[in-house]
Amino acid sequence: MKMLPYWRYLTVAVTMIIVGAAIPVQIVRIQSSPEVAGVTGNGAYEWKTFYPARGVIYDRHGNLLAGNKTVYEVGVDLTAMPALETKALDMQKNIALAVQMALGIDSAKVLKRMTDAVAGTQYIKLDDFVDSDKANQLMQLQDKVQADPSGLNLNAVQFQAHLMRSYPENDLASTILGFVTEDNHGYLGVEEKYDNILAGIPVTLLVPTDPRRAEEYPHIPPGQTLILTIDREIQASVEKILDNALESTDSVSGTILVMDPKTGEILAMSSTPRMNLNDYTRVGEIFPGATPFDRAISQAYEVGSVAKILTMAAALDNGTVTPDTIFFDTGVIYVGGFPIRNWDNNAWGYQDMTGCLAHSLNVCLAWVSTQMGNDSFYSYMQRFGLGHLTGIDLAGEAPGRLKLPGDSDWHPVDLGTNAFGQGVAITPIQMVMAASALANNGQMVYPHVLYAQVRGGHQSNMSQWVVATPIKAETAHTISSMLANALETESSVDLLPGYSIAGKTGTAQIPIPNGYDSNDINASFIGWGPVDDPRFLVYVWLEKPQSNKAASVVATPIFKQVIEKLVVLMGIPPDAVRLPASVPQEQVQNTDQ
Amino acid sequence: MENVSQIVQKVRQANWRVQRQWIGLFLLGLVAVSMVAGLYLNITVRATLAGREVQLLQPTLSSDRRKNSDLETQLAGLTSVESMQKRAGSLGFQPANPEDITYVFVPGYTPKTAVDMSQPGPASQGQSQKPVLLPEYSESLFDWITRTLAASAPAGGQP
Repeated sequence: MKMLPYWRYLTVAVTMIIVGAAIPVQIVRIQSSPEVAGVTGNGAYEWKTFYPARGVIYDRHGNLLAGNKTVYEVGVDLTAMPALETKALDMQKNIALAVQMALGIDSAKVLKRMTDAVAGTQYIKLDDFVDSDKANQLMQLQDKVQADPSGLNLNAVQFQAHLMRSYPENDLASTILGFVTEDNHGYLGVEEKYDNILAGIPVTLLVPTDPRRAEEYPHIPPGQTLILTIDREIQASVEKILDNALESTDSVSGTILVMDPKTGEILAMSSTPRMNLNDYTRVGEIFPGATPFDRAISQAYEVGSVAKILTMAAALDNGTVTPDTIFFDTGVIYVGGFPIRNWDNNAWGYQDMTGCLAHSLNVCLAWVSTQMGNDSFYSYMQRFGLGHLTGIDLAGEAPGRLKLPGDSDWHPVDLGTNAFGQGVAITPIQMVMAASALANNGQMVYPHVLYAQVRGGHQSNMSQWVVATPIKAETAHTISSMLANALETESSVDLLPGYSIAGKTGTAQIPIPNGYDSNDINASFIGWGPVDDPRFLVYVWLEKPQSNKAASVVATPIFKQVIEKLVVLMGIPPDAVRLPASVPQEQVQNTDQ
Repeated sequence: MENVSQIVQKVRQANWRVQRQWIGLFLLGLVAVSMVAGLYLNITVRATLAGREVQLLQPTLSSDRRKNSDLETQLAGLTSVESMQKRAGSLGFQPANPEDITYVFVPGYTPKTAVDMSQPGPASQGQSQKPVLLPEYSESLFDWITRTLAASAPAGGQP
């Protein structure tokens, strides 16, 4: 066998060694090259602040009530100006003119800001929250002069896109939603109450500039999505009815509240005035002085006779009276030394308790409360939540005022007047929460507007809370029947044929220093239905109606319009169709199969 | 003893053979090291390129999210109550009144309920939404070999 020369082995070996060694050398060389260092930042980190997108708000059926839209910060990069001073000035003039054309900002002011910039200034912010239409106009101008032969382009103008709140329904449910200012803070309503979870948490983190550390990039979740209990269609109908009512009755303001009495879910809540939330800067103009943003939760007032339902429920519950208890109405009763008279100053003679409610007799209800006594009466009123916050998840709730024996401003006559809603300040939401006990088997529910939160694709629905059980279930059924009968026997009211509705009007005088205003009233109505299985509880309040001074004339028709809409929008058939006894037997059998 | 010494001399390999074996062994090691280095370089480059792409996609992602928000809000505006009522009115519809409605008993009918925005999959089970990163971009070479061997191993236990 012929041997190969030694030098050949050596050559092959040396070649392979060189090639083999070149690979790790190349690895090290590439990784330490300036090009790669430029990309990777030499393994460095940089501080970055992340502002998560604000969470959006939907109604209970997934209709967007509050979303986000793109707006722009527009500024000038002074480092992009030509070195030659005269040329730089020409470019600044061009920019000032273009900005005036597109954004409407005075060109002289823009030019002055650029020319007066302190040496070393790199960037000047000209405007922020610029609508995308205007920004696009400026971008198009920038594109047009991009290839300007003289070099006087608009390349120094910079756009920084970001999101801002937008309300596609404008003023719909505005008093519930509240608004968000440019600093991304929520004010009033849901926006303020849930500001923390809607806004997300801005974080400043060290972010690797090295692309090989991509997995370390932070994932900043956006603010949580909220789903409200509000039904957009019901809300829109209620607002339209309220607006028409204010016009037809010439009232100062109004409130309509619709709640599911079994769950406490607010289906609609409207009060006046309302505002277009996209134009929140007018809030001071629309709500001057101490005007409450949402009267339904923020304005307590003497509700008048609608409070009689609470007095009667309490008296029935502790056994002071039964529906058949007879009271002889002489037209006046003295409580604490003061006379109390009926709304018409008449005596109504013998009346059972249903008659007392049907004719809204102050004398009768004052007698009922005096029969109960201070301890029992006020104990029940407190159990109904009067004088306390309901805790509704909206910013700006007022507690109202229930004077109690022992308070410096409490007088014995208050026991009589409180029985028919005078001398006690109650917000509409408090009245609705208290009445839910009557409509819901004695269980008083927590009123709320948040249905669910959505985060990371997971929806968490709110729990339904029973706040208290101030009265027994049988008492609730009894008072509901009495109120339904009272409405039916009251000839002036023909609410909704085919549906059993329980309700009560309230015509309340307005307190002024040293007495009550003889010219103006507050007109209210509270009612729920269908009585056997309540699906809605509605409260109507008109402040100082001028067309008529009786709630049965001004507030009752509003209540009627609302429930006419509700039975359609909620798909509630008439009693004759809905109740099982009315379902044809053959169809029931089909169901069983 | 002399015979034994002769036998040893006969089985000893020639020097050039021994040298060639050592060189071959060295080259084998060199090739192995080169392959590992090449593989490492390849994976590092791919990971770096992917990371760079992720970096470059961040602004695009932000922009697309903003566009989504814009489009959702625009859509909500187009389907707002006011718009839909106008549209329905122009098409000849009018709001229904209670007396306009005929109710029909439908066995098994489920009335409309509130929206459920839960998404199917792991996200709905409370897991956080994290960008999906393939293991190739995060595991070491040893991890990769182990995983590949594990994947190629026959499934199941003893027969």
